[in-house]
Amino acid sequence: MTTSDIKQVILDIIADIDDEADFSDLNADKPLRDQLDLDSMDFLDIVMELRKRYKLQIPEADYPRLATLNSCVDYLQPLLQNA
Amino acid sequence: MLITCNPCCKTPEPLRPSLLVLGGGLSGIAAAIRCARYFPDVLILEQHVRSGGLNSYYYRRGRLFETGLHAITNFAPPDDKKAPLNLLLRQLGMTRGALALRAQAGSEIRFSGGKTLAFTNNFTYLTENVAQVFPQSLAAFKQLAQWLRDFNPFAATPGVHFRSARAFLRQRLPDPLLTDMLLCPLSFYGSSVENDMDLSQFAIMFRAIFFEGLCRPAGTIKDVLDALLKRYQELAGAIRYRAKVTAIIHEGGQARAVRLEDGEEIDCRFLLSTIGHSETLALLGKETAEERPRLGFVENIVSLPKSSLPGDKSIVFFNTSAKFRYAVPDESVDFTSGVLCLPANFLDCHGEETATACLRTTHLANYEKWRQIATDRDRYQAEKQAVFVKSLAIARDVLGISCANAVYEDSFTPLTVAYFTGKRHGAIYGAPDKIKDGDLGFTNLFLAGTDQGFLGIIGSMLSGVSMVNRHILPKL
Repeated sequence: MTTSDIKQVILDIIADIDDEADFSDLNADKPLRDQLDLDSMDFLDIVMELRKRYKLQIPEADYPRLATLNSCVDYLQPLLQNA
Repeated sequence: MLITCNPCCKTPEPLRPSLLVLGGGLSGIAAAIRCARYFPDVLILEQHVRSGGLNSYYYRRGRLFETGLHAITNFAPPDDKKAPLNLLLRQLGMTRGALALRAQAGSEIRFSGGKTLAFTNNFTYLTENVAQVFPQSLAAFKQLAQWLRDFNPFAATPGVHFRSARAFLRQRLPDPLLTDMLLCPLSFYGSSVENDMDLSQFAIMFRAIFFEGLCRPAGTIKDVLDALLKRYQELAGAIRYRAKVTAIIHEGGQARAVRLEDGEEIDCRFLLSTIGHSETLALLGKETAEERPRLGFVENIVSLPKSSLPGDKSIVFFNTSAKFRYAVPDESVDFTSGVLCLPANFLDCHGEETATACLRTTHLANYEKWRQIATDRDRYQAEKQAVFVKSLAIARDVLGISCANAVYEDSFTPLTVAYFTGKRHGAIYGAPDKIKDGDLGFTNLFLAGTDQGFLGIIGSMLSGVSMVNRHILPKL
């Protein structure tokens, strides 16, 4: 997957969690949670959806690495390179 | 697909479920849905023939009666994304429309001496009432409201087990009667502690009832349960009724399986118990520590001509004695305080097109007294009848209505609740001491529901969801 593919995967998942999520002013280096008004409960959905869609097992200790859109890409790219 | 009765929704049961949920009440169903969104091999075991737990329903003479529901709290507007109701729906993958909730018309807290505070789902209305009835406490009340809005009741408070809401309010509100009047509805709708509440619990309940407000399903609790079970079935989750668990088989801090009444054993990877803390310990073969008294209630259901009932009151919380007492009474029932609920008085509820409407009356009750009375079946029936007559007279006085042509429908004592729900002493709000992190000292067994500490229908469902999120999903 390319960088932009991975970004799109994350945004698609968030759009599924909250169909009113507004990505127009999203800063890829700032925390997704603050910008999109996501609760910590919502955040777990991103992890679980990645697991469901791509069979990715993300350990709890790595959850902070999914904080921003760019950090998601950094973390997920090696894991999704063959996806 | 239309589901007409709970036991119809039968998905094949997984042999060794990822998650086994004890209890098909609202917290158990919500927990199961949450898990089944990602791992469909979930199984709920419900001892009764129907789901719902404390908030279920039954039929009598062809009519559906709700067992416990007065109102659902936490009725926040749809755009308040972080409100518990909206958060819960996102977690379950459901829409608000699926639950078809309708707002209250208006409610009141009535105390002796003619003091009445009215409230709706618009908090400003309560503030205006406080200004009229307790002008000297208005500034302090506004400060309290702001403090409660800023306060995070879920933040960990290491070492602090219980902070007294009563003491906190007394310090801030000049008029002690206002403290009692605020504590009255919050206690009746969610306190498992006598004459007080934990401050965090108070903050949660204040938000649930005063900031957000009351609602009801447009029809009955059955519609809510059917919607939840339909969602669960879509996710291929399974539920088994008449499945009474008699033991949890465990070793080395790990739960391996549960044993049912008929000896059948069901293995599991994770186990979530929603049946109560001491009730769960009993299944584990562990002793329960001495605890503070548990609060039980009696509830009467009466039909009255609609014309004799006020059309603009949804719930009336009342206290007729000089001092509001929320404790286990010395007698079988404490008639000096209680709750009067008029389920037809919620906006746009499509109740039955009849000339009569239901009135539900609730009072504190003493489980032990009722247990003694019930040793003589005739005396138990006579006492229930006497309680109904007295409760109706009180409702008549508090509401200022005529109770001519009142028809007795049914009544529940703490024994009824204990029998149908398995709740110890029939205490609907469970144990006074809560296990807020759901941790029972096991690697794969956790607690959710009433004894985890989130109360009310939305609260108990969030309890189930949050315990699955915290302890189970990340480990599956």
